[in-house]
Amino acid sequence: MPSDAKEEDGKMGSRKLRIVHYLNQFFGGIGGEDKAHVGPEIKNGPVGPGIAVQQALGERGIVVATVICGDNYFSEKIEDATREVIRLIQSHQPDAVIAGPAFDAGRYGIACGALCKGVQNQLGIPAVAGMFKENPGVDLYRKDVYIIETGDSARKMAEAVSRMVDLVCRLAANEKIGKPFEEGYFPRGYLENEVSDRLGAERVVSMVLAKIRGESFESEVPPPKFDQVNPAPGIRDLRSATIALVTDGGLVPKGNPDRIEARAATRFGSYSLKGIKALNPDDYEVNHVGYTPVYILQDPHRLVPVDVMRDLEEEGRIGKLHDRFFATAGAVCVVENVKKMGQAMAKELKDDGVSGVILTST
Amino acid sequence: MRLQLDILNIRDVQFADQTKMIDGVLTINRLELQDFLKEDKRLSHVDIELAHPGEKCRILQVTDAVEPRAKKSGGVDFPGALGRQGRIGQGSTCVLRGAVVILCESDGPGSPPAEPSTAQLGGIIDMSGPGAELSIYGKTHNIVLVPRAAHGVSLHDYRIALKIAGLKTAIYLARTGKDLQPDEVEVYDLPPLSKIPEGFETLPKVAYIFQFISGQFESIPGYPILYGHSAERVAPTLLHPNEILDGAVITPYRTMDIEVFGLQNHSIIKELYRRHGKDLYFSGVVITVAHDNIKENERAAMMAANLVKWVLDADGVILTKCGGGIPEVAMAMTAQRCEEAGVRTSIALAHYPTVLSGGDSTLLFNLPEVDAIVSLGTPYTPITLPPVERILGKSAAPSGEAQEMGEIRTTLNTVKGVLSQIADTKVTAVRY
Repeated sequence: MPSDAKEEDGKMGSRKLRIVHYLNQFFGGIGGEDKAHVGPEIKNGPVGPGIAVQQALGERGIVVATVICGDNYFSEKIEDATREVIRLIQSHQPDAVIAGPAFDAGRYGIACGALCKGVQNQLGIPAVAGMFKENPGVDLYRKDVYIIETGDSARKMAEAVSRMVDLVCRLAANEKIGKPFEEGYFPRGYLENEVSDRLGAERVVSMVLAKIRGESFESEVPPPKFDQVNPAPGIRDLRSATIALVTDGGLVPKGNPDRIEARAATRFGSYSLKGIKALNPDDYEVNHVGYTPVYILQDPHRLVPVDVMRDLEEEGRIGKLHDRFFATAGAVCVVENVKKMGQAMAKELKDDGVSGVILTST
Repeated sequence: MRLQLDILNIRDVQFADQTKMIDGVLTINRLELQDFLKEDKRLSHVDIELAHPGEKCRILQVTDAVEPRAKKSGGVDFPGALGRQGRIGQGSTCVLRGAVVILCESDGPGSPPAEPSTAQLGGIIDMSGPGAELSIYGKTHNIVLVPRAAHGVSLHDYRIALKIAGLKTAIYLARTGKDLQPDEVEVYDLPPLSKIPEGFETLPKVAYIFQFISGQFESIPGYPILYGHSAERVAPTLLHPNEILDGAVITPYRTMDIEVFGLQNHSIIKELYRRHGKDLYFSGVVITVAHDNIKENERAAMMAANLVKWVLDADGVILTKCGGGIPEVAMAMTAQRCEEAGVRTSIALAHYPTVLSGGDSTLLFNLPEVDAIVSLGTPYTPITLPPVERILGKSAAPSGEAQEMGEIRTTLNTVKGVLSQIADTKVTAVRY
């Protein structure tokens, strides 16, 4: 390492990074819960955990200022508080911002996440936060912001801070950021194909052996997270209910007028059943890549049972069949699209006064 | 059961007057092979072309790939599929390594298949560029067959004839090497489970549940899959791993990222063999079906788990799937039954993101005990294939050829030999 005339310089001949550090009222030394309402203030140099930040930075940078803000103040009006804090930060012309670590403190975590996101977007400089995995700030902000995983309390401050500092320095230097487990941040939530050094076969056999021996192993695919959906209350009186048919089996009128995609659909259609006693196979087609629709094409009622519903209507067992059926293609669907479609369908159905839905799939 | 593969490394493939092998160079009498394939009256004509690594060549409408192999002793080739039944998985088999028979579906009888899922260009193999770099078949000498249907032959019959043509070509070519000294020899030898050799008793026993066919697609009556049987509703059953390596199982018409080549070189079976006697004891293979309904899947899951636990006495089992949606659910269900029986599981799968490009990972199951998962990549990531100078694999249709020779922006899953549902790939999807 050349140690000549570069006293003021950081890595690669650039000057030392100017870092602004964000703390809550507790870590900023103002007080506990009783001071959580206090608005933001800025102090020169490092404060509290900022000493550890400065130590970890070493010659790479300097903590030029510290913003301290009460947790309630921030979390009760996140957008305003973010704006205020950014204004304070801006005056110190930082190269990067470090927020926290917030460990398991929920409001603090949310403030750190919101602030880092704001800093990135509005000041165009990198920002890194640090949180415990159960901090609600993780799920809210990990997509937007690098959040280093920390322990649940300040006992592991030094380790957490050192990882945050390393990451922020690399971001500031525009270096390629490694995998989440290498760098210690929570996955931001996107998949990228890479080439492993070993075949999938080798890895899967090694994994089962580790599991048999009771050794630790790292699954390459995390378990999915599913939303909790509370079921709607039951229908009190079916005889006065309007029931709609909704399918993800891809039944559409010939020609697919809404151009619904056969895979990874983003669109759905609704098609009139007014005056239709039964679906005529000649009028429909199936637009779906996930199955061979021979039986549906022979008789679309196998997917959208208009015939049975008309019988029930006549028998008076349901009030009526809704005069449109809804359809999309549920093949290789992506959760975000399906969620949007579901919400849009639900709104239309509700607006139309539908009281119940029969969902048919393939 | 002991299977010996006598491997000849292929340096080049050329057309010539005689079909033979000399010093790693395979020559093919094109006319003779065409006549041989046209003995099948379902085919009117078979285009045969060659594609070599590094060539600016693109192969379209690829439906399958077969490694040239022929039995030297101890059995018959592709029993059942080619009519004759017979023993398999024993004796020796000649393998032409480095050459692959590529099957392309021409427009077929009447109109092209009306499945909206079939991308216009079908499966693609590029012989140079990024597609070739990632694909198994971008690095091999390929014998490209484009069989055309005879007049009046149904689409189903054509598709069977197409596969049969591929298998016959594989044998026809490999027979040239039957009397030659092999460059390499691989031995796959696994005794009955009741005869575990001394010293191996303490090794953990590992089995493999191979889901080889998905009921989500309509099966083609008479399509040769398991010893010539269409097998779409077969109950979970034991197969000796050598039977799979030696041609007992053929890919169904529609598969997702599994070719006959992949079965002949089944990477999980080979890996279990490689570590057999070292850090594990390979206790056997169960083949199973992904059904299109939950009842049959529950039955299959239970039966497969029982075979693995109470017949194979396995401590652990590997599972893979052969399709997208319900195969994934069926595999996870089977793994769950195994875990309940005390057999530890790990699974390997290609998995989808929450949004096609740039989304987070998702799965179709959430079972705490099915927690050891290997990623075989994510299928819909974009790839750009640069322009080429030559197109193979399409029946003469001049319109649109310029477009097919140009740059193609597609997704990884359309490039054959990149993704593999049976773990014969190094592609893995990393979550950032």
